Amino acid sequence: MGRYIIRRLLQAIPLLFIISVILFVLMQNMGDPIATLGGRRATRPEDRERLTRQLGLDKPMYTQYLYWLVGNDWDKFDADGDGVPETPGQRLGVLRGDFGTSMVNRGKPVWEVIWERIPNTLLLMAAAEVVIIVFAVLIGVYSALHQYSVADNVITAVSFIGYSMPIFFIALLSIYIFSVKFQRWGLPYLPSVGMFDPQVGKTPSQVARHMILPVLSIAFVSLAAYSRYIRSTMLEVMNQDYIRTARAKGLRGRYVIVVHALKNASLPIVTVVGLDIAFLLGGAVVTERIFAWPGMGRLFLDHVSRSDVPVVMGILMLLAVTVIVFQIITDIAYAWLDPRIRYE
Amino acid sequence: MIGKTSRIWLLATFLLILALAACGGTTSEPGSSTTDTTAPASTDTPAEQPTDAPVEQPAATERKVATFIWTQEFDTLNPIYTGMWFVSITFDIWNAPAWSFNNKDEPVPVLVTQMPSEANGGITDDGRTITLNLRDDIKWSDGEPITANDFVFTYNMIMDPANIVQSTYPYDSMASVTAADDQTVVLTFDDPFAPWMTLWRYLLPEHVLAPVFEAEGTLDAAEWNLAPTVGAGPYVFAEWESGSFARFVRNENYFNAPPLIDEIFIRFVPDDASQTAALQTGDADLGTFIPYSDVPTLRDAGVNVISVPSGYNEGWFFYFGDNGNPALQDVNVRKAIALAFDREALSQDLLLGLTKPAASLWDNTPYVDPSITPYPFDPEEAKRLLDEAGWVDSNSDGTRDKDGVELILSHGTTIREIRQDTQAVAQQQLAEVGIGLDIQSYDADIFFGGMSDGGPAASGELDIFQWSDGPSVYPDPDHYYWYCSEIPTDEYPDGANWQRLCDETLDGLFALQTTQTDFAERQQTFFEITRYMHDNVIWLGLWQDPDIWALSGRLQNVNMSGASPFYSLAEWDMQN
Repeated sequence: MGRYIIRRLLQAIPLLFIISVILFVLMQNMGDPIATLGGRRATRPEDRERLTRQLGLDKPMYTQYLYWLVGNDWDKFDADGDGVPETPGQRLGVLRGDFGTSMVNRGKPVWEVIWERIPNTLLLMAAAEVVIIVFAVLIGVYSALHQYSVADNVITAVSFIGYSMPIFFIALLSIYIFSVKFQRWGLPYLPSVGMFDPQVGKTPSQVARHMILPVLSIAFVSLAAYSRYIRSTMLEVMNQDYIRTARAKGLRGRYVIVVHALKNASLPIVTVVGLDIAFLLGGAVVTERIFAWPGMGRLFLDHVSRSDVPVVMGILMLLAVTVIVFQIITDIAYAWLDPRIRYE
Repeated sequence: MIGKTSRIWLLATFLLILALAACGGTTSEPGSSTTDTTAPASTDTPAEQPTDAPVEQPAATERKVATFIWTQEFDTLNPIYTGMWFVSITFDIWNAPAWSFNNKDEPVPVLVTQMPSEANGGITDDGRTITLNLRDDIKWSDGEPITANDFVFTYNMIMDPANIVQSTYPYDSMASVTAADDQTVVLTFDDPFAPWMTLWRYLLPEHVLAPVFEAEGTLDAAEWNLAPTVGAGPYVFAEWESGSFARFVRNENYFNAPPLIDEIFIRFVPDDASQTAALQTGDADLGTFIPYSDVPTLRDAGVNVISVPSGYNEGWFFYFGDNGNPALQDVNVRKAIALAFDREALSQDLLLGLTKPAASLWDNTPYVDPSITPYPFDPEEAKRLLDEAGWVDSNSDGTRDKDGVELILSHGTTIREIRQDTQAVAQQQLAEVGIGLDIQSYDADIFFGGMSDGGPAASGELDIFQWSDGPSVYPDPDHYYWYCSEIPTDEYPDGANWQRLCDETLDGLFALQTTQTDFAERQQTFFEITRYMHDNVIWLGLWQDPDIWALSGRLQNVNMSGASPFYSLAEWDMQN
């Protein structure tokens, strides 16, 4: 197993290199980072020329990639525009642990920009994932055990309504009902945006209240897929001989379902969850935007819209590493769940 | 058994939603609260120190906290590194300009004792030297005095190539900035510089940043950029949590009357619909960039919506380059376009009558020839002008043509919803007179890209391009992208005259106005500019584009200006 993990990690190195090259090339066509600089109008020509030079955007793409990868502290650039490179570069490059500084939050290290958002994203996404898994297991198991019952059909229909609705619609609808309308009707209402009420402060109960609508919005659209997976795998397992054997041995129904059936039925679910957990770090772009949740999804969107290559590259490389790591963890989980699987 | 468990879970979830909704937050309607507002705010609660980091504020009901919503998060707070409008309007909150502008866009001295003029000797007769006399009681939020050295330092930092600043304009127009003494700043110019009032909208604290610059050789990574804990406005920076909010608390060392509201809490909410919902529920007291379509909803919810002219006007720029459609070289065709597009109906229907057609790029300033009125909607006259210009539908395909060239014009703008709606309306109305419109829309960072980055407008790929623009720094009327020298070329790809218009009359008038420090003379020059551009349809105004602000009923004594919206923030109050 140890050798297997090391082999997988070594294989990841060239993979990450290729991913970084592809992403960097794609990023060059993303837009012009100094087109407006976030303002309401185009950047003035003198400033455009100066910023292009000072930010190193006048260098060929391969040079910019090289700087990103190995830094530019071995090179000089022309800061004052006199045609003579005189100012030494400051960047160390990704290989020396320096992802550069954000072009939007000028001077702020990329890792600092990303790190600030990770806890918020994990809080929101982990809560949503827990809600999704708990409800998906309950719904999936119930549907499998009561196949084609009225309840099964109703749950299936509701799940698919959620699945087929765009998240922005669910999110805005939930704000409209639970915030705007509930307040108008004189009912206790939920906050519409943000993480807390500034009059009260950032207390755990405030954060919890502000999480309800975004978590439920994410859960509602994701429940259907998970619950259908569980339903179908449970149906398959429940017809296996060892389930009949377990029942014949006189084991209690709930014990058979949870220990014998659900554990074996969860293998495909682990694959899906394993991949999804990696993407939790990426945040929920639309949900975070609508509920003004300060997570990674919004960070990505904000910085893509300003063509902030260092930050966007940092986010995407972090996601790439996370996906690779979680794939390895998923493979290990297989071996634990299914003793027939062995890695050489 | 399982079924029962599921039902219990569902019931528990619903109860949890209601329980959590009920606890922790107020259930009162916006506008009502238990806060006592009868006592003076300054004696209610001691203001927080600038460096207070925790957000916990147990004495919630005793504080007046105004929540603003910004749909864009700050990029940085150091004024020299940003061109973001949402940042620049905060300068009046926590920084201090030499002068501000009131709700009539008249200059109001803040750091200076009076506005320099030729009459009071502040401006020399040749217009090349301006002297600023500073108040002797002005100080930074940490108690250090604000002196002429802070002005010199700010100028030096903007002009030093070691700092990758956002723009050197208008400071690059000055030859030098010197401190004659602690209270006297002397500005010298090689040529008279009429837009001098665009200078000094902010100041950098030398005593805080000079040591950083000396140590690091640049201010690019200074901590103050993202946490300017020393400022000079009625409020002082307290905290900025990435993606979430920024707080500004009362400045105890403010040199004018202390502000009445304790804290300004700016929440970053990128989604327009969410902003509207937050304003409706009272989760926000102020918002801006409100979609026109949401204005009736907000008014129904008791939110005040006001429009404040800030010099912006939405309009069409025409491409005059040789490789464009030859029709646009003909003034009669451009007039026909103006006559065929019902911009009054556009204002009434799409913009709900909240604005009106723009007659010039300088609408809502004193620089527009008062005799100018927007072209009326007259499709018959448009057809007559097109016929006269020789553009007729010779091949009966529904579109006019001339010498084998079809009158189909490419039109591009950004993806903003109102602009895309406008494109659709224009396409339909121009088709009625035989003009085809091939419409495109782009993300802003692509649309505004320069020629070397393939920006469609800069590269000459569009016959008509639309956006909202105003003077370089409102309320000054200066404009820079009409000069022949600004036409982009291979040698000068960053040129800003994307229209490729080289008109000697216009060129001369624009050059003249920048040197006219006398208001009346400059105004006359602009009358000529606006009349000339109108008569020749060099730019076609669609609608005046004021800033739309939504204000909750709790905010009182609000006065805003287009140039500096929060110039009177210290006088605002809240009724909880």
